[in-house]
Amino acid sequence: MSHPARWIAIAVAVVVVGIGVVLATQVGSDPRADTTTSQLVGGPAPRLALRDLDGHTVDSTSLTGKAVIVNFWNTWCVPCQEELPALQSFAASHRNDPDVAIVGVVRDDTKPTVRDYVKAEGIGWTIAMDPGSQAALAFGTRGQPETFAISPDGIVAGAQIGPVNEHSLEKMLAAARRQGT
Amino acid sequence: MRRVLPWAALGVVVLVVLAWAAWPDGGTATPRERARDLATELRCPDCEGLSVADSSTSSARAIRADLRRRLAAGETEDEVRRAYVDRYGESILLKPEGRGLGVLVWGLPVVVFVLGAGGLALALARWRREPQLHATAADEALVDETRRSDHA
Repeated sequence: MSHPARWIAIAVAVVVVGIGVVLATQVGSDPRADTTTSQLVGGPAPRLALRDLDGHTVDSTSLTGKAVIVNFWNTWCVPCQEELPALQSFAASHRNDPDVAIVGVVRDDTKPTVRDYVKAEGIGWTIAMDPGSQAALAFGTRGQPETFAISPDGIVAGAQIGPVNEHSLEKMLAAARRQGT
Repeated sequence: MRRVLPWAALGVVVLVVLAWAAWPDGGTATPRERARDLATELRCPDCEGLSVADSSTSSARAIRADLRRRLAAGETEDEVRRAYVDRYGESILLKPEGRGLGVLVWGLPVVVFVLGAGGLALALARWRREPQLHATAADEALVDETRRSDHA
């Protein structure tokens, strides 16, 4: 070997390029990019024990037997505002379905603001306040909006980070129903 | 010997700095201090790049409170990290773990350093072996004669 230093330099370059290719294809630059779905999918859903806008308890144990869509949102989040029509359409489609429930969980917001918004937008499903972000913490949310579908037997069947549309909501509901059978 | 002394001194300095950085702190940290240290290792779920310790979002505040509660209840740092990885995924950790792809992140600088140092040592040894050329009296005379004939 006439130029060992050159070969070593080439070896270092090959190693660095090879590992760079591996890292580029395996790990996204956005720390959230490698989590397109929740770690909770397939496992038991955390219990929700919150209060609604009137102070009544919202307890997920009372929803056992129903497929539940849990939607984390707040009034000032623009994507949350964008997805609202889809949620309203979905709620209207399943208004008469006793086996489907929707629970909106609000954090980083004030009750009067939320109450005014709910009234102005005609939101008809249960809205619960999460003032200490405990529910958000339990669900491992990464911001809002984030939506989970829970099967009738309490398993997280689907999750979506970012605004939902009617198609994704129906897909999550179907997954929740399949999980429960 | 004189040539080795600067390298030896550099090596001693490097070892001292590494030892100082890695030396464990004296005394037992409180759960609050341990929670604060752990908070610097976790990424705020709501924001890119900020640690839970540095973020002021409600998620970060909730996580900080949860860390204090868990550590006060007797959970170890590893158990808490594992719980958060199970909930949020590996990306919740600001520092990659030392397994899986994390091995590449931690190991690559060491590999590159070792290979680079080895290459440099080989290059230096090679340069030292190369013959030193000295002009002889005959060479000097030939150059002088050539210069004279150029000026003439």
